[in-house]
Formats: sequence, C-alpha cells, structure tokens
Amino acid sequence: MSASLLDHDPVLTPAQVEFRRQVRAFFAEDRVRELAEEIAGYPVGTEAALLPVYRWLGERGWLAPNWPVEYGGAGLGAVEAAIVTEEMTLAGIPDDVHVLSIDIVGLFLLLKGTEQQKRAHLPALAAGERIATVLFTEPEAGSDLAALRTRAVRDGDGWRLSGSKVYNMKSQYGDVALCAARTSDSPVGMHGITLFLLPLRSPGVHVEPVPSYANDRFNLVVIDGVRLTEADVIGRVDDGWALMNEMLQLERTGIDFHAKARRLLDLVLRRAAETGRLADPAYAIPLAELDAKLRAGHALAWQMVRDLGEHNPDPVASAMSKWYVTELFQPILTAAADIDGMDALLTAWDGDAPALGQLEAGYRFGPSHRLASGTSEVMLMLIATNGLGLL
Amino acid sequence: MTAVAELFHPDLNPTLRRLGERPRGAGRAGPSEEDRQVRESVWATLAELDGLRGPGLLDTAELMGPGLYQSPFLDTVFAAELLAADGRFGAELDRIAAGELTLAVAMREHGTDEPDQPAALTVARDRVTGVRRFVAFAAEVDHLLVVGGQEPVLALVPVRQRGVRTRRQDDLGRGDLYEVVLTGARARLLTSGGHYATALANARLRLAAHLAGIARGAVELSAAHLKDRRAFGAPLARQQVLAHRLAALAARTTAVLTFARTAARAAGTGADVRLPAAQALFLAADLAREAAAEAVHLHGARGLTEECDASVFHRRAAVTALTLGTPAGLRRLAATLLANAHTV
Ligand SMILES: Cc1cc2nc3c(=O)[nH]c(=O)nc-3n(C[C@H](O)[C@H](O)[C@H](O)COP(=O)(O)OP(=O)(O)OC[C@H]3O[C@@H](n4cnc5c(N)ncnc54)[C@H](O)[C@@H]3O)c2cc1C
Repeated sequence: MSASLLDHDPVLTPAQVEFRRQVRAFFAEDRVRELAEEIAGYPVGTEAALLPVYRWLGERGWLAPNWPVEYGGAGLGAVEAAIVTEEMTLAGIPDDVHVLSIDIVGLFLLLKGTEQQKRAHLPALAAGERIATVLFTEPEAGSDLAALRTRAVRDGDGWRLSGSKVYNMKSQYGDVALCAARTSDSPVGMHGITLFLLPLRSPGVHVEPVPSYANDRFNLVVIDGVRLTEADVIGRVDDGWALMNEMLQLERTGIDFHAKARRLLDLVLRRAAETGRLADPAYAIPLAELDAKLRAGHALAWQMVRDLGEHNPDPVASAMSKWYVTELFQPILTAAADIDGMDALLTAWDGDAPALGQLEAGYRFGPSHRLASGTSEVMLMLIATNGLGLL
Repeated sequence: MTAVAELFHPDLNPTLRRLGERPRGAGRAGPSEEDRQVRESVWATLAELDGLRGPGLLDTAELMGPGLYQSPFLDTVFAAELLAADGRFGAELDRIAAGELTLAVAMREHGTDEPDQPAALTVARDRVTGVRRFVAFAAEVDHLLVVGGQEPVLALVPVRQRGVRTRRQDDLGRGDLYEVVLTGARARLLTSGGHYATALANARLRLAAHLAGIARGAVELSAAHLKDRRAFGAPLARQQVLAHRLAALAARTTAVLTFARTAARAAGTGADVRLPAAQALFLAADLAREAAAEAVHLHGARGLTEECDASVFHRRAAVTALTLGTPAGLRRLAATLLANAHTV
C-alpha cells in the first residue's frame, strides 16, 4: 500500500525517484529482511544498537545522505535523507540510533561544530560505526528544560561537569553524547546553558538502566566531575538554549513518526485483509478514516522535508506535522485490537502472535511518540503562540 | 465506606496492581508464591463479606478497577448465573458464594472470535473436545464453563483431569491467560444455553463497570502526579489544559458507570439489556484505554517506566477491554439490535 503511495510523489525529481528505487531495493535485500525479522524476535532485554545494516548503508554514504562526502555522506539533500529514514522504518529497521546519531547529534556537529569536532566524529557516525546520544532531560527538567541543574564549572582552561541525566536512550552503547549543562547562573533559566560533547566511556560517567515497558530501556547517566576542555564545547558558551531550539526544529519534519505510524497501519491493514475483515464495513470504515488521516500526515511531513531542502523551514507547520501524526498512534493501535482481537495482545515471545508480535510491541511503544522529540503540548504551544498569536 | 470498599481501599491498590505480574516473556511461569497467597486471602475476605453473590456485584467490579485486581471474579459470577439458570447446581452455587469454587468461562478458540458467537466444541455424551484460548486463570480455577457453538452448549469441565491441558499465553497484560486443550474431557452439560445471551449481557455490564473503575484509577493516579510534579515554577496541576482533560475523563467515567448501573437495575426487573450492555461496554473499553494512555502521557517519560503504575494501567486496560468482545464487534452488535428495534 504505502509503496504505491510513495511511488507517486509528484514533486520528486527523476533522480530522487531513482534514489528511492535504489534505497527500497536495498531494504528489500534478503540480508536486511532477515535482520528485521531477527530484531522483531529479539529476546527480552536485547535491543538494536550498531546494527550491521547501518554499516551497509554507511558504505554507500546513505546513512547520512545529506552530509558532504568528506564527512561520510553522499552530498545529497534533505529529500534523500527523508527517503532513507522512511524506507528504513517501513522495512522494520529501528531508526532510534540513526535519529540520535545522525539527525540530532551529527546535524548539530555538522552545522555548529568546529572543523576538529567534525573530523573527529562525523565520518565514524556516518559509517554506522559509532553511536552518539542526547543528554538533555533530567529528573526535574523535562518539558521545562530550562530548569536543568547539570553544571559545568570552570577548571583551569577547561570544565568540570556534574549532574544526572535521565530517560535518554542508547547511552549504554554510546561513545559520545551531546549534553546540556548550566555554565552561568541567571534569573532566567534559559540563559547560561552550554552544550558539550561528553565522552560516555569516561571514568566519571555511570550509565544505569531505567527499565521501560517498551522493548528499549531508558538510562540514568550520572556524571561525576568529568573533566572537559574548550574543544568539547559546541557553539558558544552560554548560548546552548538558542542552539537547541534552532536545531531541534530542523530535525522536526514528522517524517520519521509518520513512517512508524504507516508501518503499523500497514500491518493492521494486512491483518484485516488476511482475516477477511477488510471486506466488512464495520471494520473497514474506521481503517479507511485512519488511512486518510495518515495520508494527510504524510503530505504534511513531506512538505516539511521540501521546505527544509529549500532552506526555508516553517517551525509552526513542523510542530503541526509532528503533533498531527503522533496523535494517530493510539487510534491505530486500538484498531489493531479490533481487527485481531485478543491475538493482537500476544507478545513476540508467545509464539502464536500475529505479525511477529509487532502489534503488541507497538502498543507498548505507542504513548512514547507523543512525548519524545517535543511533547504534544509543546507542539500545540508553538502553534498557539507563534502560529495563532494566542496565549 | 462499604466493607467491600474497605477491602479495595486505595492504600492497597499499589500492591494489588502488581499481584501475579510476570516478567516479560516469562513463558509458563506461575505467579510467585507470595502473590498467590495474597490473592487467596483477598478472595477469602471477599467471600466472608458475601461479595461473591447478590445485587452488589457490579459495584464490586467497579471497586476492583483502580487496583487492577486480577482474579477469577468476573468469570466466576458470569458462570454462576448460568449455573443458577440451570437449576440443578445449588450446591456449587453455595460453594461459589463461600469462596470455595472458582470458574473460568471459555468461549474463544481464536483471539478474533467474538463471545456472541462461541467457537465450535465437539460433544460426545459427557465428553468434550476442543481448544479454548485467552481463558482467564484456567490453571488456577476449579472448573471451566466451556461455551460452544451458535445455540451454545454449556459444559462444566473440572480442570484437574487428564483430558485438560493448559498453557500460559504471554500477553501484554503479563497475567493469567491460558490456552486450554480439551481432549475428551469429562463434563456436565448444562441446560441453560438459552440463557447465555442474557448472562453475557449482564457480564458485560459488570465488565463495563470494572473498566470504568480502571478509568477512575488512571485519572486519580494522574491527578496525584500532576499535583506533585512541578514544571515552569508551579505544579503541573495548575495547567488548565491538563486539568480539563482529566476532568473530561472523570465526567465520561461517571456517565458510563451510571449507564451500566442503570441498565443492570433494568435487567434486575427482567428487561432485555443486550443493547445497553453492548453499548456500555464499548464506551467503557474506549474510555479505560484512553484514560490509561493519558495517564502514561501525563507522567511524561516516567509513565513509560516499569516502575510507574501508569504503565500497568496502559497494559492491563488493553487486555481487560477485549475480554467480552472487541469494541468494533460490540458496535456492530449494537447496530444490529438497534435495527431490529426500529423496523418500519
Ligand atoms: C521514547 C522517548 C525517548 C526519549 N529519549 C531521550 C533522549 O535520548 N535524551 C533525552 O535527553 N531525553 C529523552 N526523552 C525525554 C523527553 O525529552 C521528555 O520525556 C520530554 O521532554 C518531557 O519531559 P518529562 O518526561 O519530564 O515530562 P514532564 O515535563 O514532567 O511532563 C509531563 C506531562 O505534562 C505535560 N506538560 C508539561 N508542561 C506542560 C505545560 N506547561 N502545559 C501543558 N502540558 C504540560 C507534558 O507534555 C507531559 O505530558 C525521551 C522520551 C521518550 C518518551
């Protein structure tokens, strides 16, 4: 279903259409399909880290296709990057490491890093050989990130970093993290925040699991007086807040969230066809509505990608795109329960589960999309204030 | 506070929510010995309070919601109604009321089967053969009430016998759902198959009340968290948008519970409540799942942790919501019943 939808994207250039064809052929290779099945059946506690498929993509410059060739990319644009993201998720390959390492930390470095920082990290990230993670959230600072307490104090010509970061993902596999810390006190919380590159395997960094009920765990990272140098600062000292807002908006097109929702809905549609329920209006009509909404979400997400490609991103519309599509997860997952009944509740570890237990796993992961990468309320706030002049 | 309300006191809820919980992918593992004992003592107290029969069953089901109390309660009272309709099971009914006999109702072969159309069952004299899945507490109860076929056969099957094999299913709720294979299992056949649709409607009303109780628990948990969690210099409870969302869920919960109670009262006077029962159940199923998802959301990332009870609400509400039919199946049933009631 989604294949035909994507094939008729009217605004792709012939070269981009050809790129999509090649990327899709890559994800259809046996080795990739086998890996996707293996991941769906991972034992409890195993999660995706440096998957071989990232390396295979990296070999072609496709893990970060929009980066310059000299840093391991393919010298292409935002459209090609979105194509890889979309095809990866539709093929059932988890993209969390990709989002964290390439779309967030890598992009920060590419746009704001020093030449030395870029050379030190970008090629390894783009090759799929290194993981970078994000350390923003703290126990008492989530939506209200300006309340963060992790502190970097001057120590000779460098800094000493201390604090606790929580709900971050993949840090147990990470080599380096983008870490937000307070460098100056100010009555306004947003002032005096600086971004650092923190080597995660330093002796003063302790990574502890915070078990989640989804398949992938969270981490608590305790940073205990780790010494950093000027070379570890990204951007300017005390200028982290503006940088974070600028960069997180660039990452936000909704394309990754859309692809996850589409993959789930396609699984549900396939099950509806297999069980005969797609021919029954009682089941088919709600699915038709969800499909319509998801196509609207797809159109909007792609508009965001094109705007980004033309260096003309629209932060209000990007917030709309992220909000719109992530609100669809819960109805898609309840539709799955209507189609497969109690079978939809069986885990991958049961053996009898339809669709390799991905509906059950999807249910557990469902609420996370409205929280991650800016909560629904943060998106609505952006739309209400910057878009409508309210509040 | 009634005695049953005392038993399901809010202070006990955090303990009740975790009873019988298995780790993910635990396979056949039973509940821990300690959990089993706590469950048994809650059950015994419920029986002592005469909470396993009589007009208060729907309210008891609601009271069990906030603690997500997992037990054979809903199935046992459903089966008891069918035993009572048969007329020959006075001794068994006394033992049920005394907390000495528990039952599981087994009507599905596949997860997609709807309880209004029970799966096929082969009956040869006093022996039954077939497969039933998603049977609650099948390995712990004394008897299964196996429902089979369109004009349903009702077979009372003792669990502990050679012809009955059970396997725990690994599900989102991580609780006690079982696959049961019956191979020429000894059974007593009931004569009350004609009462099945009525008993199912009554069971649906109790389940709707239970789901309303789950929604209430999820709302209360979220409200407590919003009062506690500070952001932007004030408790999150001060954010009107969040407060209003919980208020709307509370209003829906009250409406659905009152609907179920009113229909149950009508059923007590002999009214046909198949339509309101189906309606109350799909409303309650949607509500409980939404309230649970909202609880996770309002807890932020913490809501996604194993440690946070919001995650237990989210998992369990999804399972409980489907036990007596999917919302889509119930909507279709309600549409058919409405059409029948409005022929021109
Ligand atoms: C899957 C997932 C992955 C994540 N990965 C990372 C990571 O890698 N690194 C990292 O640093 N962080 C990560 N996070 C954390 C994420 O950034 C935070 O969850 C998010 O910022 C919200 O903060 P919180 O969880 O503390 O919720 P809180 O801020 O406590 O908010 C609780 C609820 O209240 C709402 N709320 C808060 N303030 C307001 C308001 N003013 N008005 C209305 N509603 C409000 C929120 O939207 C939320 O629903 C991840 C989260 C998830 C779910």
